[in-house]
Amino acid sequence: MMKRPEIESLCEKVLGLVSADEAEVWVSNTEDLQLRYANNDITSNGLVDRARLSLSVSYGKRSASISLNQVDDSSLKSAIEKVQAMAKLAPEDPEHLPPVEPGEYAEPLTYSEATAGMTPENALARIRPVIEQARAAGVDSAGFLERSISGSALANSRGLFVYQRSTDVGFSLTARTEEGGGSGWASTQVTDADKLALDPVGARAIEKALASRNPVERAPGRTTVVLEAAAVRDILGLLSWSLDRRGFDEGRSFLNSLVEEGEDPVGKSLFGDKATLFSDPLFPEAPCQTHSHGLPLERQAWIEKGTLKSLSVGRFWAQKQGIPAQPGPGNLLMPGEGHSLEKLIGNVDDGVLITRLWYLRMVQPQTLLYTGLTRDGTFAIQNGETAGPVKNFRFNESPVNVLKNLITSGIPTRTLGSESARPTHAPALVVRDFNLSSVSDAS
Amino acid sequence: MHRRDWLKGTSASGLALVGSQWSSAAEEAAGISARFPTLAEAALGKATELGASFADFHIMQTDSESLFVREEMVQGVNAGSSLGGSIRVLVDGAWGFAAVDILTEARVVELAEAAVAVAKGQAGWRARPVELEPLPSFQGRWEGAIDVDPFSIPLEEKVECLLGINRSALGKGASYCHSRVSAVRERKWLANTLGSRIEQSRVRMHPAFSVTVVDPKKGEFASRNSTLPPRGSGYEHLRDWKADEEAALAVEQAKEKMAAPSITPGKLDLVIAPSNLWLTIHETVGHPTELDRALGFEANFAGTSFCTPDKLDTLQYGSEIVNIFADRSTENGLATVGWDDDGVKTAGKEFPIIEEGVFRNFQMAMGQAALIDRDGGSNGCAYADSFDAFPIQRMPNISLQPGADESVTAEDLIAGVEDGIYVDGHGSWSIDQQRYNFQFTGQVFHRIRNGKLDGMYRDVAYQGNSVDFWNACDGLGGAPTYELGGAFNCGKGQPQQVAPVSHGAVPARFRQVNILNTAEESGKKVAGLSPSPRPCGGDTPLPVA
Repeated sequence: MMKRPEIESLCEKVLGLVSADEAEVWVSNTEDLQLRYANNDITSNGLVDRARLSLSVSYGKRSASISLNQVDDSSLKSAIEKVQAMAKLAPEDPEHLPPVEPGEYAEPLTYSEATAGMTPENALARIRPVIEQARAAGVDSAGFLERSISGSALANSRGLFVYQRSTDVGFSLTARTEEGGGSGWASTQVTDADKLALDPVGARAIEKALASRNPVERAPGRTTVVLEAAAVRDILGLLSWSLDRRGFDEGRSFLNSLVEEGEDPVGKSLFGDKATLFSDPLFPEAPCQTHSHGLPLERQAWIEKGTLKSLSVGRFWAQKQGIPAQPGPGNLLMPGEGHSLEKLIGNVDDGVLITRLWYLRMVQPQTLLYTGLTRDGTFAIQNGETAGPVKNFRFNESPVNVLKNLITSGIPTRTLGSESARPTHAPALVVRDFNLSSVSDAS
Repeated sequence: MHRRDWLKGTSASGLALVGSQWSSAAEEAAGISARFPTLAEAALGKATELGASFADFHIMQTDSESLFVREEMVQGVNAGSSLGGSIRVLVDGAWGFAAVDILTEARVVELAEAAVAVAKGQAGWRARPVELEPLPSFQGRWEGAIDVDPFSIPLEEKVECLLGINRSALGKGASYCHSRVSAVRERKWLANTLGSRIEQSRVRMHPAFSVTVVDPKKGEFASRNSTLPPRGSGYEHLRDWKADEEAALAVEQAKEKMAAPSITPGKLDLVIAPSNLWLTIHETVGHPTELDRALGFEANFAGTSFCTPDKLDTLQYGSEIVNIFADRSTENGLATVGWDDDGVKTAGKEFPIIEEGVFRNFQMAMGQAALIDRDGGSNGCAYADSFDAFPIQRMPNISLQPGADESVTAEDLIAGVEDGIYVDGHGSWSIDQQRYNFQFTGQVFHRIRNGKLDGMYRDVAYQGNSVDFWNACDGLGGAPTYELGGAFNCGKGQPQQVAPVSHGAVPARFRQVNILNTAEESGKKVAGLSPSPRPCGGDTPLPVA
C-alpha cells in the first residue's frame, strides 16, 4: 500500500506532466480485509489492495476527467494525453470553475494504528466466537466484517495539497431461527479496532432473533414508533441529501412546498423543536475527513431545535448567488436526550419498536416521501413495555414528518445503516404518527 | 450552443488522439492475453502447491466513458479504466480470496499465498465444507455482438446528441433537462485448476434523460424520465433512439402529470408496459428465485426469500399464462456472456423459472445445486463485478414470455379494462427482504375508462404481494410487443457488487391491484378525485414507449 510520500510524489509527477491550464488530481490507496459468513460458516472473503487516481484538467471552461488504477509512467502518460484531448474537445461549460485555492485543514481523527494493524488472523479470531455463540444458541447467523485502511490526497495546479488517511471497521450480523421466522440484526462501526467488541453485537442479534419468533399481525396505520439508532441514521441520511440550496432556488425541492413563494426556508421552523442535526469532522465518536474536494469542513449546524440553519451550496451556485459555498456534511450527528431504550419504550402506551429499515426509495420528491420496510426485529409496545413480535411493515413516510413528530430521543450511538456508510452518530427516537402503510409477510 | 461553436478550438488531430487512446486499451488487452497464461500458471501453481483442491485466477479490465449535459451545458466528460486480478482458492473445504491491481508474477504468487492463508485460517471450526460439482474445462473466447463500438465514436457526436435532446425538451417548455450516456467495455480472463482458459469481452450502453417542469407559484414540479433501457449494445443503441421525439413527449407528459387529478386509492385493474414491468419482474421474480438467498447466504444484506426449495414444482407463482425464462444468451442482454465467472458455459443452460405459472427452478452458481439435491449443477449464474470481487450468484436475463396469441397488443389489453391505469416507465421501487411486499411507481399513469385511455392520474403507486400479483395476471401482449428492459446497477453481496441485467417483457394486465395515493401517504390533505379532464371514451393514442 502506498504511503504519504509515494502518494505525494505521484501527485507531483502527474501535475508536472499536465500541460492544461488547470488540473486537479486525487489519489487514493485502500487496503480492505473482508470476512463474510452465512449459515454459521465463512463464505466469501477478501484481501484487496487497490489504488485509484482521478485527474481533471481544464482549458478555460473546457474540462474533462479521467480515472484509472494503473499508475505506472506509461499508463499515466497515456491517461494525461487522453484527458487533455477530451478537455480540448469538450464544449465550454459556463458553470466550470478553476480548482479550489489551498485552505487550512484540521488534522482528522480518522486513523487508528490498531485498526491498520489488524490481520486476517486477528479478524478470523474475532469472528469465530461470534459464530460459535450463534451455533450454541441454535440460530443461523450471517454477518460481514470489513476493515478498511485508506490514504488519499488531493492536489491541484493552484498549489493545494492535502493528504488524509482513515481506518474503520464495520461489523453487522443477522441471526435467524429455523422455526418461527425469528430474525435479529445488530451492528457496530468504529475507527479504532481496540474499541471493537463483536460479542455484544452478536448477543444482541441473537436475542432479537429469539424474541421475534412467531410474529403476529398488527393493523397498519399511523402509529407511535420507537426507531432504534440504525433506523434513525438511514432517515437522517435521506434528509441530508436533499438539504440543497440550488434545488430550492430552482423550485424543485421539497422545501418549496414548505414556504411561500419568495420566502427563504433557512431560519424557518420546519421541524419539531427537539430536532437538531449537525456535522463535525472532529467529532471523536464518528469522525470524517476535514475537507470536501479541497473545501475545509468544519462543525456545521443544519437543523437546530427545529429551525433549518443551513443548506449545502456548490461552488458555482455560491458564486452566482453571492453567498458562501457550503459543502454537504461529511458525517451526521444528532444529539439525544440521553434516555435508555427501555425508558423510551416506557413512554409509549401503544406503538411499535423498529430495529432497522430496508430498501428505502424516494416515492415523491415534492414531499420527500420515502418508502421502505422494517426488518430483523419489530415488536409491539403496550403500556410502556414490549409486547411480543409483530409482522414487519412497509412504511411511506417523509423524514420531514419524522422530525416534526419527534417526541423524545435516546443515547446517540454509531451503527451501520442499510443505505450509506457515512459515519453517523444518532439516538433512538420516539416518533408519533409514523405511517406504517401495509403489512409485510417477510420475517 | 451550436455544433460549430463547440467545435471551435478542437481539431481533427484531437479527435484522432482520443480514438487512439481507446486503441491503447485494446493493445493493453492484447498484452494481457499474451501474459495471462504465465500469470495464471504462477498463481494456480502456487495455490495447488499450498494445498488448494480448486483455484481460479481472474483478470478484469474495465473501460468506461460517461457524458453529462445539463440544459445546454456539457458538465461531464469522463473516462475511466481499471485493471487487476484475483485468485480464489478452495483449501480443505474453505474459500480464500485475494485481489490486487499490480499484475506481476511475483505479486500473483503472493496473492495465492494470502488467499490460501485465509482459507487455512478456517480449519478446525467450519461446520460444513464447501463442495463443488465436477465441472468441465473449456478453452475459448467470446465477444458480445455489437454493430458500432461506442468508444470509436468521436466525443462531439455523442455530445451533440445529448445537446439535441436537451434542446428539444427546453424548446417544448421544460424548466430543466439533463441527459447522459454511459458506455462500458468489460474484458475478462479466467483460468482454473480444471484447465479452463477463457477470454471474454462485452460492451454495454445506457443513454438517458430527465425533464422537469416547475410551477413556482404553487411550489410544485413534475419530472418525467426517459424510458429507453440500457442494453448490451454498441453505439447503435443511442444512434437509433428517437430521443428528441421522446424528450418533447416527456415535457408534454410532465406538464399533464402536474395538472392531472390525484388518484383515489383502492383496487384497480392495471395494464403495465414493458418499460415498467421489467423492474417488477426483476424484484418479484428475479431476486426471490436466487438460490443463495433462499439458502440464507444473503441473509445479512439482500435478505432471504419466500421462495424456498420445498416450493419447487408446487408453488403456483402466477396464473397459467405466466411463463418466465432465464438465460445468459439473449441478444443484447446485459447478463449475456459465453461463460459465467465460475467458468460454466452458458449456452444450453437456459432454464424456466416459472412455467405455466408454476415455480420450476432457481438461479445457481457453482456448488449450489447439490445443496438442494438438484441434478445438473450450476446453471451459469456466477458474476464478479470487478477485478477485486469474489464471484457470487447473480441474475441472468430473466424475461416474461409473450402470450400465446401473438396478435394481442397493449390496446387490446386496455380494451378489456373498465376502470384502471396504464403504467408506463419505471419510477420508485422497493420490496421487502423476503420479496413478498412490493411497491412501485412509474413515469406516467394513463387513466383507462371503458377500455380507452382517458387522461392521466398523478400521485400513483401500486403495491402488492409478489405471488398474488402474478396470479392476478390475465392478459399478455403477443410476441411483437416484446421489449427488453434492464439496468446497469443491480446490487447484491457484501461488499456490495453491482451487476447489469436485462428483463424482457410484454405489456401485461393485472386485475384488482392495490393502488396508493402517494400524496396522501405523505400526510398531505388531498381533495377527492377531480372529474375527468377529458370526455370519456376519447381516442387518445398510446404514447411512444
